[in-house]
Amino acid sequence: MGYLYLEEKDFAAFVDALIAAKRVVGPTAKRNKFVYEQLASADELRLDFDVTILPPKKVFFPPAQDIVRFGEQAIEGCIAPVDTVLLGVHFYDVKGIDMTDYLFRERKEDWNYLAQREATTVVASNIQAISPRAFWDSVGAEVKPKGHDAFLTKLAGGCVLETLTPKGEALAAFGAFRDATADEINAAQQTNDSVMGQCSEKLGYTSEAIAAKVRDSFDNEELWDELAMDCFSCGSCNTVCPTCYCFDVKDAWNLNQVSGSRTRYWDACLTREFAAVTMAGGDKENFRERHQSRFRHRFMRKTAYLNEKLGGPACTGCGRCSQACTVNIADPVRVITAIMEVGS
Amino acid sequence: MAKPKIAFFDFASCEGCQIEFTNFGDAATLELLNHVEIVEFREAMTETTTGRIDIALIEGSFTREADRVRLQQIRHRAKYVIAYGACACTGGINALKNHQDDFAEYVYGGDARMPHLRSGTAQPISAAIKVDYEVKGCPMSKDELLLVISNLLHGTEHVIPTYPVCVECKRRETICRYDEGDHCMGQVARAGCGAPCPADGIPCEACRGFVDDANLPALEKVLMERAGFSQKRAVGKSRMFTANLRS
Ligand code: SF4
Ligand code: SF4
Ligand code: SF4
Ligand code: SF4
Ligand code: SF4
Repeated sequence: MGYLYLEEKDFAAFVDALIAAKRVVGPTAKRNKFVYEQLASADELRLDFDVTILPPKKVFFPPAQDIVRFGEQAIEGCIAPVDTVLLGVHFYDVKGIDMTDYLFRERKEDWNYLAQREATTVVASNIQAISPRAFWDSVGAEVKPKGHDAFLTKLAGGCVLETLTPKGEALAAFGAFRDATADEINAAQQTNDSVMGQCSEKLGYTSEAIAAKVRDSFDNEELWDELAMDCFSCGSCNTVCPTCYCFDVKDAWNLNQVSGSRTRYWDACLTREFAAVTMAGGDKENFRERHQSRFRHRFMRKTAYLNEKLGGPACTGCGRCSQACTVNIADPVRVITAIMEVGS
Repeated sequence: MAKPKIAFFDFASCEGCQIEFTNFGDAATLELLNHVEIVEFREAMTETTTGRIDIALIEGSFTREADRVRLQQIRHRAKYVIAYGACACTGGINALKNHQDDFAEYVYGGDARMPHLRSGTAQPISAAIKVDYEVKGCPMSKDELLLVISNLLHGTEHVIPTYPVCVECKRRETICRYDEGDHCMGQVARAGCGAPCPADGIPCEACRGFVDDANLPALEKVLMERAGFSQKRAVGKSRMFTANLRS
């Protein structure tokens, strides 16, 4: 494990060599936004992205994923990992991946996620552009980005690749890398430090203070009514979140009525029937019937409930929910600040 | 077991949903025919029937008292009634006329007094008879129709999404219409279509109707604040498919 350097002129050849050998997924432009897509050539890669619409978890946990396919006789699983390099992940999304890694391993290992996760080399990259809704520099400072295999930092004239695991080291074979000099390593460190403090949105409280106050506000119905008044229960704040991991499972028959598949889909706790259950005797109960209680639930999950397991809040500050909420009420900075200011 | 008998009936509609059914294609339809027997289908065959049917598929809106009798007869003959397409489920496009009175002159000019144009309020089929299942959309979602039929064949419960189109739109990573300076009603429209319209760069018009707890005041707010609509346009938006669902 160490620091390597690649001249800018050799970068495209490195990426193309990777593409020739493996599936390479990275940020690409989609009109005025960015999305992770499989790369067909190095020039599709946009490491100057600010944030992607969906987080990179979709590589391991696709929005719709077949779990089993069944025929008249046989049922077969669908786990089929593909050797993949996920190239260009900002540090806040590295944190998100590390959280879903933990959550899908917890208690019962979920190989529908873990198989592809283990077959993937995650290459983080420095932040070259900052999304207007991001606040990653003021949330969960105690949660360190980890679990990635390498970290790529672009400098003037080239880039430094810090290799952190054997998978990360194996990348060196695909490009004309040499060892990085102490100056280059320092420059990379400075480049990464320099973006901190640059987000335009800011959380002005510690994770502990936020967790305590949000929990204390649980019964403040007036507050949640007001915060959630305009909520559509559309779940966009969940579906774009790197740390949301809930899914729903559905079966469907093919037209022949003999074969079919069982598929899991991203679910969203803001939607109306997320918490609807069928009880013994067939009665239905929805234990979060009102949109205010669903809205509150997400904030409990992102600021308090998971903190012990994850070592900090289940929010990375990516700002995707703030951007996705068409009525602009999902922004954790605004909501948490409003909660913190109650009674103070 | 004998194959369940299926019959198609149409009321006030463009019959586009029947055409959508034929879009399953020959090979696929033949597969389905291993499991069901189609006994009446105006768009695709000439035979008709008066006997018992297992599944009646009804397209179009209920617009005349005379329809009620025909609908009651179908209900009487059929084990299950499936209303399919926006016209049958919400009144659909036909319901546009429910809020105005000069539409006949506007559309037909000098021919506005033709007797067959005399019809009442456009209503969903469920306003006349009990409907067991609804397959929404304009045109109806054929995969959803297949799912209802599959569930009936297999005796499993049919579940359709109660969440809005945004869920499916985000799952396919479409750029939100609001992020391109446009408007959209996906936040209140019932999902199940797979959100094709925003993916094609056009707003969701809620052709599948609204979710049960649609937050219309918030929709109006977003249409004004983010899409720059006037209040009048925001409040009137959109009657195209949801006229019966708006005040
Ligand atoms: S809650 Fe919002 S800002 Fe936090 S990680 Fe999720 S999408 Fe990003
Ligand atoms: S409970 Fe809600 S906030 Fe938590 S992971 Fe599931 S969908 Fe996301
Ligand atoms: S907070 Fe916003 S994004 Fe989340 S469900 Fe409500 S309206 Fe949708
Ligand atoms: S484009 Fe429409 S359906 Fe898609 S997320 Fe935006 S508001 Fe929702
Ligand atoms: S996106 Fe909206 S308008 Fe388009 S098919 Fe779906 S419900 Fe209908």
